[in-house]
Amino acid sequence: MSKIGVFVCHCGENISATVDCAKVAETAGNYDGVAFSVDYKYMCSDPGQNLIKSAIKEKGLTGVVVASCSPRMHEPTFRKACAEAGLNPFMCEMANLREHCSWVHEKGEATTEKAIDLVRILVEKVKYNHSLNEIKVPVTKTALVIGGGIAGIQASLDIANTGHKVILIEKDPSIGGHMSQLSETFPTLDCSQCILTPRMVEVAQHPNITLYTYAELESLEGFIGNFKAKIRRKSKSIDEKLCTGCGQCTTKCPVKKIPSEFNEGLGKRTAIYVPFPQAVPNKPVIDRINCTYYIKGKCKVCEIVCPTKAIRFDQEDQIMEVEVGAIVIATGFTVKQPDFFPEYGYGKYPDVITGLQFERLASASGPTLGEIRRPSDDKVPEKIVFLACAGSRDPAKGIPYCSKICCMYIAKHAMLYQHKVHGGKSYVFYMDIRAGGKQYEEFVRRAIEDDGVNYVRGRVSRIYEKNGKLIVNGVDTLLNAMPVEIEADMVVLATAGIANEGAEELAQKLHISYDPYKFFAEAHPKLKPVETNTAGIFLAGACQAPRDIPESVAMASGAAVKVAGLFSQDELTREPIIAVVNRQAPPVYSSCVGCFLCVSACPYQAIEKEEIKNRNGELIKLIAKVNPGLCQGCGTCVAFCRTKSIDIQGYTHEQMYTEVMALLNEY
Amino acid sequence: MVDLIKRAKELIETSVVKVLIGYEQGTANKTRALFVEKADDADRLIFDSRCVQNLAAYVTKKEVKEKGKMAIAATLPVMRSIIQLASEFQVNDNNLLVLGITPESKLIEFANLVEVETFVHKYEIEIDARNKEMLDKLEKMTQAERWKFWMDELSPCFKCYACRAACPMCYCSRCTVDFNQPQWIPVPSHELGNLEWHIMRAIHLTGRCIDCDACYNACPLSIPINLLTKKMLADAKEHFGAYQPSLKGDHLMSTYKPDDKENFIQ
Repeated sequence: MSKIGVFVCHCGENISATVDCAKVAETAGNYDGVAFSVDYKYMCSDPGQNLIKSAIKEKGLTGVVVASCSPRMHEPTFRKACAEAGLNPFMCEMANLREHCSWVHEKGEATTEKAIDLVRILVEKVKYNHSLNEIKVPVTKTALVIGGGIAGIQASLDIANTGHKVILIEKDPSIGGHMSQLSETFPTLDCSQCILTPRMVEVAQHPNITLYTYAELESLEGFIGNFKAKIRRKSKSIDEKLCTGCGQCTTKCPVKKIPSEFNEGLGKRTAIYVPFPQAVPNKPVIDRINCTYYIKGKCKVCEIVCPTKAIRFDQEDQIMEVEVGAIVIATGFTVKQPDFFPEYGYGKYPDVITGLQFERLASASGPTLGEIRRPSDDKVPEKIVFLACAGSRDPAKGIPYCSKICCMYIAKHAMLYQHKVHGGKSYVFYMDIRAGGKQYEEFVRRAIEDDGVNYVRGRVSRIYEKNGKLIVNGVDTLLNAMPVEIEADMVVLATAGIANEGAEELAQKLHISYDPYKFFAEAHPKLKPVETNTAGIFLAGACQAPRDIPESVAMASGAAVKVAGLFSQDELTREPIIAVVNRQAPPVYSSCVGCFLCVSACPYQAIEKEEIKNRNGELIKLIAKVNPGLCQGCGTCVAFCRTKSIDIQGYTHEQMYTEVMALLNEY
Repeated sequence: MVDLIKRAKELIETSVVKVLIGYEQGTANKTRALFVEKADDADRLIFDSRCVQNLAAYVTKKEVKEKGKMAIAATLPVMRSIIQLASEFQVNDNNLLVLGITPESKLIEFANLVEVETFVHKYEIEIDARNKEMLDKLEKMTQAERWKFWMDELSPCFKCYACRAACPMCYCSRCTVDFNQPQWIPVPSHELGNLEWHIMRAIHLTGRCIDCDACYNACPLSIPINLLTKKMLADAKEHFGAYQPSLKGDHLMSTYKPDDKENFIQ
């Protein structure tokens, strides 16, 4: 016979304001198997917990139902209290009277009735609870960082500096990411590369960091503390050990007209190339799509000029398997291209460029060596127009969110233009100026007041070309919606920051969730901003939402601390809420028929095949078996199993059925 | 079916297989399954348009499996069922030899299940015009009309489970309806209990049913329960792409594919 204790919490007035807690406790006290029932102001407080502990000891309780808040916060609290009083912690259940009842209903009898129902369900369930033991799993103390932009660099360095090993993979030939493309950074106007490149070098030289550039994640298996990642190291077509980075090959390569990705298509590169002079590692790769040898089968100029004979045309992609305990995703973002905007000419005007392209024009290492010149004819633009919110905050374009960084970089762009083109005129069309951040507002004011940038509050409806000028049709909403027409030489669109191409695919490989815009989803928008819903996988930087540099760095350091915290333990304890395939006495052994549909349904690759053999070692039956280390207790296999051979511990068929029946039956 | 009889005799005489499953003349102008274990029995084998029973239902039966390697005279639906069963690890090349009977009534002996799969994939699974019309009619009904339709159709069902016995996919050693701790699906044959049983069966068959109509043919009351599986087949096709049983193990309902539309949760 069960001896169950029911503990009804007032949660101050959070519950008791609408629910008659004394009545709930009294009613519950009359249920079969309930040996003790009480209500109290704060069950999570020390006296409240002591109430539970003493009742367990004095009444010899076999199960506990705490009727209070959502289990999210206080389930560990009450389970611990039970454990301290000698009761198995998994004999403790919580009825959610706050979020599921008192907060969402008016005061009244029906609300109290619902609270009573919620308690009754759990009283009936707890009768079928079994003692469970926590699962211990070891931790591999190596982190995998995906993406070598500023966020990935910062996370790698921070983790490496705590003394743990880091594997950093970057899909491009060099680390550095978008930050390496920027000219200056707001709000201080210090040169982006000058502050970034020392970090890049530190990564390459750090004894705890193994860097693989031109590498991508192929697949991921496993779970927190014990991931197995397959990494595809794309063929660079060179022997990195022999290459000294002398640059002979890149100077002699005859294919010189490939638009440079680093310069956002404004400059050219060769087929064997180093993306930019400060690249880390400073060793070239061959772009096989554009290389004459791979297209026509002859050329090999680079092989002839290479003094160390480092060119390897027949090199193949390598798949490498690594074991890691935690993963930081720092894959960054990208921006919408001008061809997304029919009203701005679908990208057919060469002098309508993106903000990222303007960064390259303004950069001393860029195609114009830092002079602002039009891509079409190399002339210095006398009038320049900047458009904020190109795509962003525009539900009609499918991007209702604010890209966050544009207001600040537009102010920076306009400022840089005014500094470089004396006598030039610059205009900014904006919806609102969002300059929240340390010294951000001051920076924007400086652009407007000291550098004379003309800010026009309004949107631009159309851009078209006429007599070699770009005619910008807009409106000034501060002057009673007066139409504004500007004959500009160049237009810069602050195009929306969007998720990387392939973000969805990566999320699926990692089994993490993502939002409708394919940005990776954090576990909690406020309290778990760097965690994902998959334990052991963390987020840093703009892969989660558009982020500026300080935020990306802060997030990266945050994620690094989470990883370091995880690595500070030798073993992880996991809840035993996992799936189990039933076993029965011979000759049945298990009701599992071995169709293994659960294997393909399991999102965590946690189900294996188990051979049941007789004493002579002959196979009798092949059944499913759940690996307790891998199972996350999601229950997908339970739903899939036609023979009902799988149960989730703590949420068995019997328990669920009992709950439903407790709700349906009259008492 | 002279070819089939001749080949069956050879297979049994040379002990390539221990038992061959085919059709024989039954009572009341009906055909029934024949299990050929002796060469002489092969003379009783027949094949004609009445042979619609899905013989694949027997290859998972313990009593048949125990005899040793099986051969089966398989029409197109039977071959489809066999591929689905193979993808669920219930049969394999070591325990089953397929003697295919093409829709043109020609005999083909397949060396292995991969060849069977290749053959099966030449034919799309299509719902016939009469049933398609019926599904459209059901679709156009109001919820109340549809409820009444199914209540009327299902209320006479007395749960003889002939549909389950005839279905090659219902090979589970313990059916959900027999699971009684707890008893999720009610056993008594009242209207709601019947509805629950048939809906549960249709859901368990989604992405596995190859539309052979064996359940309908077996039903002593001719309840159109195959409309449920046909509807699920059509819906699964719409949401997850064309369905073909496949040895690759990419089960329609349990495998996530990046191009799954998932329209129903958006």
